[in-house]
Amino acid sequence: MKQQAFEAHYGARWNEFSDWLNRRSAKRPKSDAAPAVDPMEVPARYRELCQQLALARDRQYSADLIERLSRLALAGHQTLYGARSQGLERMWQFLRAGFPRAVRREIRFVGVAAVLFFGPLLLLTFAIPQHPDFAYVVLPAEVLDSVQSMYGDGVKHLGRKREADTDVAMFGYYIFNNVRIGFQTFAGGLVFGLGAIFYLLYNGLFIGAITGHIVHSGLATNFFSFTSGHSAFELTAICLSGAAGLKIGYALVAPGRLTRGAALRAAAAEAIPLVAGVAGMLLIAAGIEAFWSPRTFLPPAVKYALGGVMWLVLLLYFAFAGRERAA
Amino acid sequence: MLDTARDIPTPEGIELTLRLAGPVARARAWTVDVLVRVAVFIVVSIPLSILGAVGAGVMFVLWFALEWLYPTVFEVYFGGATPGKRMLRLTVLHTDGTPVGLPASLTRNLLRAVDFLPVLYGFGLLTMILSRDFQRLGDIAAGTVVVYREADFQHSAIPQAAPLPPPMPLSAVEQRTVLDLAARSQTLTAERAEELASLASRVTGAREGSAALGRILSIANYLIGRRSP
Repeated sequence: MKQQAFEAHYGARWNEFSDWLNRRSAKRPKSDAAPAVDPMEVPARYRELCQQLALARDRQYSADLIERLSRLALAGHQTLYGARSQGLERMWQFLRAGFPRAVRREIRFVGVAAVLFFGPLLLLTFAIPQHPDFAYVVLPAEVLDSVQSMYGDGVKHLGRKREADTDVAMFGYYIFNNVRIGFQTFAGGLVFGLGAIFYLLYNGLFIGAITGHIVHSGLATNFFSFTSGHSAFELTAICLSGAAGLKIGYALVAPGRLTRGAALRAAAAEAIPLVAGVAGMLLIAAGIEAFWSPRTFLPPAVKYALGGVMWLVLLLYFAFAGRERAA
Repeated sequence: MLDTARDIPTPEGIELTLRLAGPVARARAWTVDVLVRVAVFIVVSIPLSILGAVGAGVMFVLWFALEWLYPTVFEVYFGGATPGKRMLRLTVLHTDGTPVGLPASLTRNLLRAVDFLPVLYGFGLLTMILSRDFQRLGDIAAGTVVVYREADFQHSAIPQAAPLPPPMPLSAVEQRTVLDLAARSQTLTAERAEELASLASRVTGAREGSAALGRILSIANYLIGRRSP
């Protein structure tokens, strides 16, 4: 078949397919006329187009025609294979099942991250009241003094000296700062896991030293009534972002039977749901920390209880959410 | 082969061609994006600064969104390109040629933090040079590439001429060469087109100048199947 006859024979069908693609990509279709191609017929039309492109290439038709067909094929490929479900339904599925499942699937990395983070945290919390001078080995004196002044007795709002409308400012700051720490911990994993290990240990030591120092200074009630509310979300989130970072780092160190690139791709695809969940948890933590934690009108016991409930809910969520009932 | 065109095989048994974008174009797009973000931040923060502490809170959230979410939002929901990339006609795609989705876009943009190290995308540049497809670390992890969006298709039809069969059988590649020259003849200067046509002396029967070009056009018309009425 000569090129002229080929074009005359199939040209109308190419135009119809192209018209369908244009309508799909246009936000508002220009005309209300029914599309020339029935949507159910599109995949068949696309395969037909691919076959004609292959023929055109094989028969060495003009570059112009081949270019036209390959553009159509590329646009068709992107439209047909690129269609992915998005939106609220998917987000709800992720919250209901996807995120806790991802955490359970990566439980080994979560465990390692928990040891790296909670290990030094708990160690310093309990060791520093016994050996108070050790706090000054970990952190400079100015930092410890400023923290101590934040939780001193008679402070109206715990945590930071502030007025009521600074709650919003602090909310913004917590998002800006804490979510960034979560993201950095994950990204640091790309350096063979070293960055993630560093951030986990660093944050564990930092928080542990401050907690231990505060306990030693006798301000434990003020401090824990501030931190208990958001501690569940914030500490768990840091731990999970570290786990995600460790996972991609481990893929580079021990790629198994894959190439390092392929192992990294696979690990990143499995780790990224953790990071998305971490971002959500840190948003919640920022809200609690800004608007609930500094309130001093409730007795500490109530705030401890609520903090405990948060931990319980979060652990139950990770343990059980998204498990399908056995048939 | 040293080439920035990358063929991706599809399940339908054809190969689609992507044109990969290199570090310079991407650095320019990034610069535009930085300027856009700084401009947005300045413009929005002027009215916010009047609002005091509440405004400061919104400013922190805005800065966070511009730093971390801006690329992902544009890549996933606005056609695979940030404003900077759009300006330089670049698009982010999965390595299989499909538009980038949320997980991959999030991966490549969060790992930007490592690509940026030690200064101004040092690691990113290094891996782009070492990888076959100009991928920085985030691209490798996410399985994405940055490609040029094709310019709008310019249809260059073969000009009409009285069809003539070639003087001897032409191989498929020779036919393709004649067709390409005929199609391009309108975008070349007349002198250059005639000069090129004169080179094909066996096909044109050693004609020169416009006679050679006329003969090439006639043969091209014959090859694509036009017949004299």
